[in-house]
Formats: sequence, C-alpha cells, structure tokens
Amino acid sequence: MPHRHSILCITPPHMLKEIATQGTDAQREVALRTIDVSEQIRTQRRTALEMMAFMGARAVRAGKQRIVYDAKNGSKLPGTEARKEGEDPVSDDAVNEAYDGSGITYDLFSNVYGRDSIDGNGLRLDSTVHYQKGYDNAFWNGQQMVYGDGDEDLPEAQRLFNRFTIALDIIGHELTHGVTSYEANLAYWDQSGALNESMSDVFGSLVKQYQRQQSAADADWIIGEGLFTANVNGTGIRNMKEPGTAYDDPVLGKDPQPGHMDNYVKTIEDNGGVHINSGIPNRAFYVTAVELGGYAWEKAGQIWYKTLTDKLSERSTFQEAADLTFAAAGELYGAGSLEQNAVKKGWAEVGITIGGDAPTGCLPSILRIFGLAN
Amino acid sequence: MTKILFERTGGFMGRKVSVTIDLDDLPEEQAEALDEMLDEADFFELPADLTKPAIPDAFTYNITVFSDNEQHSVRVSDATAPDNLRPLLEELSNQARMQR
Repeated sequence: MPHRHSILCITPPHMLKEIATQGTDAQREVALRTIDVSEQIRTQRRTALEMMAFMGARAVRAGKQRIVYDAKNGSKLPGTEARKEGEDPVSDDAVNEAYDGSGITYDLFSNVYGRDSIDGNGLRLDSTVHYQKGYDNAFWNGQQMVYGDGDEDLPEAQRLFNRFTIALDIIGHELTHGVTSYEANLAYWDQSGALNESMSDVFGSLVKQYQRQQSAADADWIIGEGLFTANVNGTGIRNMKEPGTAYDDPVLGKDPQPGHMDNYVKTIEDNGGVHINSGIPNRAFYVTAVELGGYAWEKAGQIWYKTLTDKLSERSTFQEAADLTFAAAGELYGAGSLEQNAVKKGWAEVGITIGGDAPTGCLPSILRIFGLAN
Repeated sequence: MTKILFERTGGFMGRKVSVTIDLDDLPEEQAEALDEMLDEADFFELPADLTKPAIPDAFTYNITVFSDNEQHSVRVSDATAPDNLRPLLEELSNQARMQR
C-alpha cells in the first residue's frame, strides 16, 4: 500500500520532543517541523469538534431522541418532519423502519456499551427517507442518515433494490459511521477507510443480532438481507462470514470482497476499495465472535468497541487494528486470556499476525524518517 | 455535438455504474433537456474536484462533457454536489440504471 502522510499520524508529542532535544541537527529539524504540523492539526481538529458541538447543541437532549423526515423524492435535507420521538407509527413503512431501526441501534449502544447516542452525549438521531427518485443507496452525511427508495419507482420485473431502510443492519451501519466520526474518526480511504466500513458492518450486524437475540453461531452475518428483490441472485450486499459470496448475479456481477490479505484489492475506485477490503476485518471479527461463542455483542463487541473508542486513530491500518484489538482484549479480560487468544485467531484466519512485521504503523514510519529503523 | 461520459462509484455497495450519451443520438426533446441541465449547472465553470470531504457511503460521480469547442470533467459526491447540478446527476444516474 502507498503510505501517505505517515508523518501526520498521531505521534506522541513527548517522543517528538525527545528527538528534538536528543537528535542530530537534521533529526531535530524534522521533529520541530512535525511538532509544528501536529499542533496545527490538533488545533484544527479541536476547532472542528467545537463546531460540531455547537451545531449539534440545538439537537442535544437527554436519552433517546429521534426524528424521521421525508425528502419526498427530492434532494433537500432534512425534508419534512414525518415522525418524532414518542409518536405513533405512521402509514409509511420507510418512516417507521428508520424510526424503529435507529431506536434499536440506540438501545444496543446504550444498554451494552453505556453510550448515550452517536456522540455519547444524547445527540438527536435524524433520518431522512425517500431521498431522490430511484436512489439505490443510503449514507451518513456527517449530521444525519439518508435513505433512498431503491428501484421502487420501476415496474416490479425490473427492480433490483428495495428501499434501503428495509434492512436493520444498514440503519445500524449508517449510525455507526456517526459514532466512528466522534471517536477514531478513521480517514475514509484505503485501509483506514476499510476499517471505518468494517466497524459499521460489525455494529450494524450486532444491532440485528441483538434485536433477534441470536448467538454468534446462529446469526447469518449477512449485511443488507432483504435489500435485493427476487430478481437478484444473492442473499445480501456483504457476507462477514464468507466475504465474496453475498451475490453472484448476471446484472450486478459477483461480490468482490476478499476474506484474506492474500486477496487484498488495490484500486483507486470507491476511495481505495473501502467497501471491498472491509471483508478482511469483517471476517476477523466473525471468527473471533464464533470462537468466543454466545452473543457476539458481549465479548467480541466489547473488544471492538473499546478499540474503536480508545485505541484506533485516523490513519490506522489493518495491522494496527489487529494489534490494538489484541491489546484491548488483554486489558478487558487479561493477558493470555481465552478472549485474547480468540482475537489472535480471528486475525490469523485473514492472514494478519498480531505484532506482525508489516511496518505500516505510525511508530515504524516515524523511526524510519529519523533513520532509526529500516 | 455534445457527448456525456458518466460514471458513478462508491455507495453502500461500492459498485460502479456508467453510461455514455451522445446527444445527437437522442430524440430532440431529450437532448434539449440535457443541454438545459448542463446550462443550469454552469457545467463548464464548475471546479474539477468537488469530492472533499469524503462522506461515508455517498456516491462519487465523474462527469465528462465534450462539446464542439470545449471539454470539461467534474467529480462530485452526494454530499458536495451544488444544487443546480443535482437534476443532471439524477437524470444521468437514471440513464445508467436503465443500462443494466
């Protein structure tokens, strides 16, 4: 993988200062420059967080607060209010699905991980349905969830996609993008982007399993089940258990996801294949969860949640994610515990060794710049 | 002569769709409608890259237009597209959907 902006990753300032005082003239110059850039980035990030807090302030309330809007097939967001917290179901399925789905997602994060909404501070969950016409997609725009109706405007025989609120894990997926933006804030390209995608699939799938009260062994691990119409040969958009097997269709083609580092896809499309290579960390989570048994949101989910909220940073790689989930399992359940070994096995199954020698992390790249490592 | 190359990538599924439209091959009414959408969007004056910041699961659209005396390419996403370009994006997305 090309390694962009490696010097801009979050470097402990004390280490840079150490180099600045102890290093050679050349090393000192680089370190001082880096301290300067890092300070700028921290300031920018602080300002951005303050802005987000300010913009979100009018939406902040205690506990679960939802509003679903209707874009009425236009592009204007958020649209017309269709149902808000505490109101009875309406006659529109998409509105009710967005309302119920964001509620169950809120419940998982609150009841299991002790998190009050997307920002951890009761941020209102806003969703818009009926976005545009024939819009085969859903996304998180930084402030709210947005759902299209799929092909519901076409004659039945031509439809491939149903409305995107139809699958609960898609709703959980979009909301988790919000959580990630307040936590690790994984940059949305290459490996950090694929980790961002994988976190959304992991917690999206856990929302579905939590609602169904299914064990890891009983869950189907399909993302977007029910999204395809009967005209498509496929079970869903992605398969976390066996990436690459979700669909194989004459019109849509074959699911391109790899489930092992040997098949990592290098591409410039899709922000460097963020929806493709996410199959690798997805499977690592699946293997870990099945190895541990019981409900996946309990131990495996706790380990991944701790990693997302306490450990990962913007430019984290797969190798770092593996090492950090291993560290998180050690902190939660003890070094050498059953749980830590399950994490190790999960990543080994996809070709990543804990503490492996793929020097793509922050520390190795810093050391390389200062001529202290190869 | 006006020709439009359209490509849409990314999205929840990460799947690419594309379509090429030669306005000369279209019924006059349709060609005129597309011409108007290009005018409405001030297409040839748009910046080439409007994709930042990257938005999770949003589509990225690449549009290139060749006309008699100019050629211009624009990259935008669902979250960053100017309002006056959206009718064209929707129309081209719909055309690409009909290709399948």
